[in-house]
Amino acid sequence: MSLSKAAAIVGAAEAIEIGYLEEPITSLQLHIEAIKAVSDQTGIPISDIEGVFSTGWSSELSEHLGIHPKYIDTTSVGGCSFEMHVHHALLAVYAGVIDVALVSHGQNGWSARRIGGGGHRGGDPTAPATQMSMSYGFSGAPSNYSHAMVSHNHKFGTTPEDFAHVAVVTREWATLNPRAVMHSRETHEFGGPITLDDVNNSRIISWPLTLLHCCLVTDHGGAVLIAKPEIAKSLKTNPVWIAGAAENMSHSNMLEMDDFTATSAYASGQAAYEMAGLGADDMELALLYDSFTLTAAITAEMLGLAPRGEGYKLWKDGHAAPGGRLPINTNGGGLSFNHSGMYGMHLLIEAYRQLSGTAEDEVNGIKGKQTNARTCVVNGTGGSLSTTGTLVLVAD
Amino acid sequence: MPYNKPVPKPSPLTQPFWDGAKEGKLMLPKCVACERVHWYPRHICPFCHSMNIEWIEGSGEGRIYNYAIQNRAFGGWAEEAPFVTAYIDLDEGDRMVTVLRGVDATDPTSIKIGSKVKVEFEQASDDIYIPFFRVVEDSS
Ligand SMILES: [Zn+2]
Repeated sequence: MSLSKAAAIVGAAEAIEIGYLEEPITSLQLHIEAIKAVSDQTGIPISDIEGVFSTGWSSELSEHLGIHPKYIDTTSVGGCSFEMHVHHALLAVYAGVIDVALVSHGQNGWSARRIGGGGHRGGDPTAPATQMSMSYGFSGAPSNYSHAMVSHNHKFGTTPEDFAHVAVVTREWATLNPRAVMHSRETHEFGGPITLDDVNNSRIISWPLTLLHCCLVTDHGGAVLIAKPEIAKSLKTNPVWIAGAAENMSHSNMLEMDDFTATSAYASGQAAYEMAGLGADDMELALLYDSFTLTAAITAEMLGLAPRGEGYKLWKDGHAAPGGRLPINTNGGGLSFNHSGMYGMHLLIEAYRQLSGTAEDEVNGIKGKQTNARTCVVNGTGGSLSTTGTLVLVAD
Repeated sequence: MPYNKPVPKPSPLTQPFWDGAKEGKLMLPKCVACERVHWYPRHICPFCHSMNIEWIEGSGEGRIYNYAIQNRAFGGWAEEAPFVTAYIDLDEGDRMVTVLRGVDATDPTSIKIGSKVKVEFEQASDDIYIPFFRVVEDSS
């Protein structure tokens, strides 16, 4: 048996309620609701889970569930951790250590403002990189990613307006997904379709990034189950095969990022394609981490979906839009669907739904969101364009 | 007005840098084995993995690799917004992050990548002086 397709994602589910929750919710509850839902969806009892993969939660979750996993992974390197968890789970199944793996996510990015929690842990103030960067007024992800926009504009002659197309098209996808926070005026006062002017004229956050270049901060919980082929083929859900999986990193602190327009998605993408025996041209769907418009556009370049400097054209020319040749971020993305702080699980869930043909069930979509894609490249990006995990998934 | 922004706490690894800063010197770690300067300070050279690292006094000069505007910020920095964060390619090699002095944050495109900058220090506490960079010559 080869490593490629040695395991499949057999189910993917979310917490009961996601988005801007009215009643504050904890990250733990978001985890548990999603785990229960994916167990019900697949028919795999929670007691059959042998490996638990999460961003630091695995011990607490396992105890809460009353299970005793024999593979425990707590990789927590930002929003791409979940793509890495799938990579690690594939390896563990291939090695014969486990037959069923759980990847779980719960993050009350929105509720944390009222009840605390969230998913972020403070860094060590004595770390040398922290000492040498903490004095300069940076205030979270936008204050770093704005620098990457400036570099891309400088190097390739692009403009922030070019990248605004990413926000507009991604919002168009969100209007097809009733679970998306920005689906419509019914779901949010600023929901529904947006224009380039809306993006360009929205509030400035960190020049050249305006508000609509930036992702949401919501509550979200999600879980996927991964199983060996014998189990995957026996379930009521459709398997989605893990054909390629890889990870890489270029830096942790942006101080060490050599070229602000290039990420390790190039390296993790190449390795994932190679394992899958497929290339960028074979991809019929792409789910690209869009913490910011530029994150998705640069990632498209790194993954070979567009030439260097021209990632934004996939959106500008309509290829990424509903009906386009390469649909991208069909759930509405971190920009308009949900983004709890770490977005990697959201990508996995949408990839599973698209490739298993369940993107339009009664809770997840209305007609138009389901694509015909049989192959999908999924890329997560964590930190300050630091860490990446890439998966090549194929339908059964 | 007392300094009201985050002030770093030195560790044994970084103490020579802060000692230098207090005297107006930009001290940089340099590997004795491969003779390359690296930033930030490390226990091991990131280029050749020698642990034999010395401190040298840098020129304090470099060029703007990249910049962006911080239009909102927290704490003491909020009062100063908008301000310009920048990455500086040092003449000695490798890159520092800073806030630029002598630029107009309300006119972002007036700031030029490649412009020459020089370090200056601002007193933040009795012992901590924080390096900032001032544009001394626009890139043409
Ligand atoms: Zn060296």
